[in-house]
Amino acid sequence: MTTIAPPRGARAGFGDRIRSALAGLDWVLLLAVAAITGFSLFVIGRSTEGDIEGEPRFYLDRQILFVAVGVVAMLVAMRVNLDHVSRWAWALWFGLLGALAVVFALGEATRGSHRWIDIGPFSLQPSEFGKVVLIVVLAGIALQRIDKVGTVRYTLLLTCLALIPAAVVFLQPDLGTSLVYAVVLAAILFLVGVPWTHFAVYGSILAVLLLSVLWLLPAAGFKVLEDYQVERLTAFVGADRDTSDAGYQLDQSKTAIGSGGTLGKGPDGATQANNDFLPEHHTDFIFAVTSEMFGFAGGGLLILLYALILWRGLRTMARASSQIDMLVAGAILAMLAFQVFVNIGMTVGIMPITGIPLPLMSYGGSQTITTLIAVGLLLGIHRRRSPIPG
Amino acid sequence: MTTRARPPRRTGLRAGASTGGWAPALTPGTAMRIAVLGGIALALLGLLLVRLWFLQVISGEEYAQAAEGNRLRTVVTEAPRGKIIDRNGELLVGNRTGTDLVVDPRELTGERRQQVLNRLAGKLEGVTPADLEKRVDAGESRPFESVVVAQNVRPALAYYLAQRERQFPGVRLRDSYLRTYPEGRTAAHILGGTGKISADEVDGYRSRGYEGNETVGKGGVEQEYESVLRGAPGSYTREVDASGEPTGREIVSSRAPRPGRDVQLTIDSPTQRALQDAIEEQVSLNGLSTGGAGVALDPNTGEVLAMASYPDYDPSVFVNGSQKQIQDVISDPENRLLDRAIGGSYPAGSTFKPISASAGLQDGFITADELVDSPSEIELYKTIFPNFRKHSHGYVNLPTALEVSSDTYFYQLGDEFYRAQGSPLQEEARTFGLGGRTGLDVPGEIDGLIPDPAWKRKNFAGAPFTDLDRSWKPGDTINLTVGQGYLGVTPLQMAVAYGAIANGGTVYTPSIGRRVLDPNGRELQELSSGKPTHSIDVSPDHLASIREGLYMAANGGGGTSTAVFGNLPPDRRVAGKTGTAEQVEGKEDHSWFVGYAPYDDPKIVVAVVIEAAGTGSSAAAPTVCKTIAAYSETSFDPGLCGDGAEAN
Repeated sequence: MTTIAPPRGARAGFGDRIRSALAGLDWVLLLAVAAITGFSLFVIGRSTEGDIEGEPRFYLDRQILFVAVGVVAMLVAMRVNLDHVSRWAWALWFGLLGALAVVFALGEATRGSHRWIDIGPFSLQPSEFGKVVLIVVLAGIALQRIDKVGTVRYTLLLTCLALIPAAVVFLQPDLGTSLVYAVVLAAILFLVGVPWTHFAVYGSILAVLLLSVLWLLPAAGFKVLEDYQVERLTAFVGADRDTSDAGYQLDQSKTAIGSGGTLGKGPDGATQANNDFLPEHHTDFIFAVTSEMFGFAGGGLLILLYALILWRGLRTMARASSQIDMLVAGAILAMLAFQVFVNIGMTVGIMPITGIPLPLMSYGGSQTITTLIAVGLLLGIHRRRSPIPG
Repeated sequence: MTTRARPPRRTGLRAGASTGGWAPALTPGTAMRIAVLGGIALALLGLLLVRLWFLQVISGEEYAQAAEGNRLRTVVTEAPRGKIIDRNGELLVGNRTGTDLVVDPRELTGERRQQVLNRLAGKLEGVTPADLEKRVDAGESRPFESVVVAQNVRPALAYYLAQRERQFPGVRLRDSYLRTYPEGRTAAHILGGTGKISADEVDGYRSRGYEGNETVGKGGVEQEYESVLRGAPGSYTREVDASGEPTGREIVSSRAPRPGRDVQLTIDSPTQRALQDAIEEQVSLNGLSTGGAGVALDPNTGEVLAMASYPDYDPSVFVNGSQKQIQDVISDPENRLLDRAIGGSYPAGSTFKPISASAGLQDGFITADELVDSPSEIELYKTIFPNFRKHSHGYVNLPTALEVSSDTYFYQLGDEFYRAQGSPLQEEARTFGLGGRTGLDVPGEIDGLIPDPAWKRKNFAGAPFTDLDRSWKPGDTINLTVGQGYLGVTPLQMAVAYGAIANGGTVYTPSIGRRVLDPNGRELQELSSGKPTHSIDVSPDHLASIREGLYMAANGGGGTSTAVFGNLPPDRRVAGKTGTAEQVEGKEDHSWFVGYAPYDDPKIVVAVVIEAAGTGSSAAAPTVCKTIAAYSETSFDPGLCGDGAEAN
């Protein structure tokens, strides 16, 4: 792991080392991330006080630990030289596939979950970390063969590299994360300049697939998605609102958000969350809780903080010191934007329920740490940025 | 999009990273792609902001109400219904506590509803899951209401469910009040019952401020005095969590239930029991008899002292009985739920004669003392009209004609009515309160029928009837004079009419509700007892001669019911008339008796009909005698009542 060269004084003092570590930091990005994380800890803490009897801080303490681990991971990621790492792209890719396959096999053997590996009291979700790994792998391999860009082979290669792990994740089943993998692929293909005709073909295939999965194949008797998945995907359209559990969740989510009004009902008055009407209030539906507690002021502020992160990221991209930095930053931004939009869109009823957590807000170790690693990569790219103002 | 990022492969990149000084040119293509990516991302966030604005700022109020509806749950606590007591304070209908099984539809969403209701139906007797689901679905539209799916749940089942709350989410046990009937069958028809508001009644009750799942009076006093007996249910509103459990954080509002007020009836339980027992005894003595009914009134107030109908039923079956037992009562071919005393229409037979006599006297067709030949039979309009059992009574005056119940005397009077202008007999009968509802304060009364030419034309209108069928014939009036033919009266109407004879000509509206009492027995309100409807325009002399005839009929040497009443103490003498109402060929006659006592200071008037039990004195008269004997104001040893003999 190479670091940005520190000033090599004969006796570099502690102060100097700190100074050098802080040099070139994207403070705005860091502050936005810190603000959202603080927001997250507050909302998780208040909304889960009554969830486990006798342990009001159960979720809060765990999330604090996740954030702490995540911050360390972020600091490490900041110093990662993507160019070096991307040389190991193929190894990383097989490693990712192996990890996913192991989880899947373990789950199959124990008839348990296909998503997690239990480590003591915690469980690791490789598919979450896989998001970042996939970004680096795709960016690396895309650039290794950049001279072939525009060919069908090139596009197909990258597509396979993304969709094979995505398929394993989909089978776990974790539709949301597999969609994130697909978005990462789309972002990288777009940024390296794959011809628009390839996108058009993909768009058509996607449309046919959606139609088949949701309509044609079930009509012909093949079940591709679990019933609950279809239900969740279609609930936001409004059909069968109160008969399905997904419709119930959506109704309760909208009620929570709407009842927050302009300024919110406060942490104590958020009865939709506190009285359990809103399920998954600390994970997938945490935005609804935030909006119930703090109203449009709170929910809007949160969205603006995400916009701030995106703006800083785009700025960093434009000044990236290398192609790999630019590609990785772009894919990370696409991933974050996609997750934010799909998650919040789900809670406000304009997107299907896909089980995608809200980055930096939702409770959960793997996804918190993964997002902070992604932030660390962004910070590193920023620090390596071209000194010439872009 | 043809231009592409184009720097050389790994070498260039490594150089960029390590030197830190080399920056790849930001080609226009890359810049544009970054802009597109950023544009899309920021546009999506903008879309979220707009949507959030719509939900929270534009529609916030609406969702705030929905959230309140989620959070607050109002639980209704039932109020005990008022008690029903008799005129002496004896308890006829009381309360005990029971357990209702209620389901909150809002807690059973999605597939869970069917699962839980299936499980529940398995525990309940005679209920299918589909029944339950229908009831729960129906209750869903009403906010703040839970659906009662079973009443008076067995303690064993209540315990079972209480132990398994998790298996039965949304299902709760609730204290309720159930009716008790300490006197068993006594006055069952009068009292009526209670039940949950049915689907077709729900709108009516809701407009009167009821919850859809309340218990209301059904039939009888329970229905008539619903507004008095009903207590005001209490309620409390509190905060709950998603599983419906109280959070304990706040009770928003609460209101204690107010018990219903008690109703005291005019019914005298001893008299009531005696009347019921005597009717039951007579019906069972007469193998062909299908039932009977009777009414005892205070002739000076119209208060109903007793009112009975047989076959009867045990009202507690509707509280404790199984579905089958309840169904047995409801669909019984003997029509046990019918109150024959107010809902049964019978020809009056000879008990109608005093009304004919009054009409004859008032209109001057006869005088009381005039002696009229009353042979064994008489021919009028080429038709032979015979006396009962072809007895010949010789020359008799009016009192004697009533004493011996001479038909031929009244046939001749009937001919006078037929030849007179209009319908003087029918008018007189209506004046006495026959042929129309008396206005009793219990539902279920019928009009009965006083036939006249207009009625006959209407009733026999159209094919297959001919003009001859429709025409009013002499025989129609002549038969009516002796209480036969198309005439239909209820025992209650006859009691009211004889009450007017007994009290000097006042027709009272009979009443069963006497007073409204608070739970401590203090009077809150006097009900409608003792309200005369009108006075009959009849001279005291005329009434006196009719009463003399009725006295002789029960006490005279030739009296039709002397065999029954002849041995009563002097201050308990009865005046009254037997009746034998003929039915169609081949069916036994109905046995009637209507009378009052004491004859010189009437305190009770009783009308009894025993269906298909033969002559008036054999079945009905002993029943009346025992009823009078049981009333405290006119009490005597019922053993003094004779068995009766064949007489009409």
